Amino acid sequence: MASDTTPRASEQYLLELDDVEAGYGRAALVLRGLTVKVPPATVVCLVGPNGAGKSTVLKVASGMLTPRSGTIRVAGKDVTKNSPQQMLAAGLSHVLQGHSVFKEMTVEENVRLGAYSVKDKGEVNDRIDFVKTLFPVVADRWNALAGALSGGQQKQVEFARSLMVSPQVVLLDEPSMGLDPKATGTVFEQVVRMRDAGTAVLLVEQNARRALETADLGCVLDLGRVHISGPADELLRDPQLAELYLGGRPAASPAT
Amino acid sequence: MPSASDTVSTTDRRSRGSVALKAVGLLVLAAAVLSFPSVAANPFILSVGVVIMSYAVLATSWNFVGGFTGYISLGHAAYSGLGGYATGLLVIHTGVNPWLGMLLAGLAVAVLAVPIGIASLRVRGASFVIVSIALVLILLLVFQSWGSFTGGSNGLRVPRPFGPEVLRPEQHERFFYLHAALLAVALLTWWLIDRSRFGMGLKAIREDEDKAQALGVPTFTYKLIAFVVSAFFTALGGGLYALWFGFLDPIFQFSILVGSYMVLMSLLGGIRSLFGPFLGAVIVGYAVEYFKNQYGDTQFHLVAMGLLLGLVVLFMPDGIIPAATNLVDRFRPQKTSIREVTQAELAEQRRTAGPEAAQADQQARTDDGTDIPTSDSTVTEGARS
Repeated sequence: MASDTTPRASEQYLLELDDVEAGYGRAALVLRGLTVKVPPATVVCLVGPNGAGKSTVLKVASGMLTPRSGTIRVAGKDVTKNSPQQMLAAGLSHVLQGHSVFKEMTVEENVRLGAYSVKDKGEVNDRIDFVKTLFPVVADRWNALAGALSGGQQKQVEFARSLMVSPQVVLLDEPSMGLDPKATGTVFEQVVRMRDAGTAVLLVEQNARRALETADLGCVLDLGRVHISGPADELLRDPQLAELYLGGRPAASPAT
Repeated sequence: MPSASDTVSTTDRRSRGSVALKAVGLLVLAAAVLSFPSVAANPFILSVGVVIMSYAVLATSWNFVGGFTGYISLGHAAYSGLGGYATGLLVIHTGVNPWLGMLLAGLAVAVLAVPIGIASLRVRGASFVIVSIALVLILLLVFQSWGSFTGGSNGLRVPRPFGPEVLRPEQHERFFYLHAALLAVALLTWWLIDRSRFGMGLKAIREDEDKAQALGVPTFTYKLIAFVVSAFFTALGGGLYALWFGFLDPIFQFSILVGSYMVLMSLLGGIRSLFGPFLGAVIVGYAVEYFKNQYGDTQFHLVAMGLLLGLVVLFMPDGIIPAATNLVDRFRPQKTSIREVTQAELAEQRRTAGPEAAQADQQARTDDGTDIPTSDSTVTEGARS
């Protein structure tokens, strides 16, 4: 099966993982020749069962894990052996699984820390205005301690922090983890807003159906390879896929 | 329900009110410190005041590392001791102006702190504590054995900066003000760092060093700078003490106890608060002097301090200032997002939110039924909160 995720047109991909193999220590490979490509202003969603290697894809893309073979390109530039900081500078911003705000610092400090590598004060302030508009919660609770916010609000602070470096692609690892369905809805709405504001998103989710409803493109991972890929709504309608990965019931229509 | 603009204006008023309150508090504090020598009943009380101010300088200096980075150094007596000895030896051997000698000693210790910091800041947590203690013990041995230069166990007599015509009470008063001035400079520096970009990076290190590094904070350099600044002020504190007391003995200068006092004072007052170590120094310093005075040369004051440390860790892990702030906040209007909402308001919200919310509710119900991971995670969240 072709593992190319996107239309073959000549447009430039912002992030390309090409035939990547990676694993932890001496253990067996987790990713076995995986190829994922993220076009501009698109939400690409990786779904798949536990252990398929979804989070590992993000770790490789953010430089936390160096692949054993294959290449990673950001906007055409080879960044395969980059450290996490270099990946950040290259335009890949990683929002970690779970809650990763600095709980004892204010929302403002959290957001400003996201721009720590940006020296230009004017640019930082522009970005602050930008994320405040994009995430009203962040503007509302600007002076509050981040730890006092609810899980969904903290997630939005993390999103805001990740956008401070004007990234090419934001890597989101399970943004709905630990959130109730309503907060999950808000978080996915914010993912769409990030995309509409011009940032590409590579999203990893357990909550497959919900994530595919949000995403533009989807990739189903299994055993370290892209198993099926295509436009997200087509994947949602695929009865076989629904049977295997989405909880055994084809979505008749996305809007329940 | 208050509209958004209402909320903003009350917040504004509150913060303006708290700024005014802080200004008044600062003035009262300054007045209290400055008037202390004139209200002190006798020279002994005044000398206790000098000791307490000296502790306040040391604890505030310690807090440049402990408060900002969360690295707990039990061995800061190394820098106060070195500062004291360097000041004394410079005055004795070069005849330099004592105040200049004190400053030079501070700078020398700061330079020395660079390699020490590079070596010791590589390790975190308990390992860092042990390394910091080791340094004090090494210095204690060196200064005891190298008698020809340091005076060894016999101690070192430091010439007094003021002539014999200045009597004891007058000496105490002058040194009280000198310590207060040094404390003010240290506090001002701490405050400036606290509000800076540098300070923000340090606080991120305190919360999660790895995360801070991932965001691009040059963690090692920052820790080292904080460490060196801390050593510099600690050494100045040690030097000023040496000039006042006029006598240095290695066993008291390079003592684990002095370093522990700095930690205890800071923890007691609150390491995240500007005035935390100062407040802690007043309480602990007074208590130590009281117990020494009441029970003479027994070790009773150590027992009392141990008890105090235990109580602080158990009941006020963040220190007195944060605990008191929380208590005050409890009687203020709530600042959190959790507000009581009447049923009418809820209905109104539902109505304005309209179909979107209804859809979300619907979605929630379907998800609960079908999607195992979601319902799982919901349960976990519930359990956590």
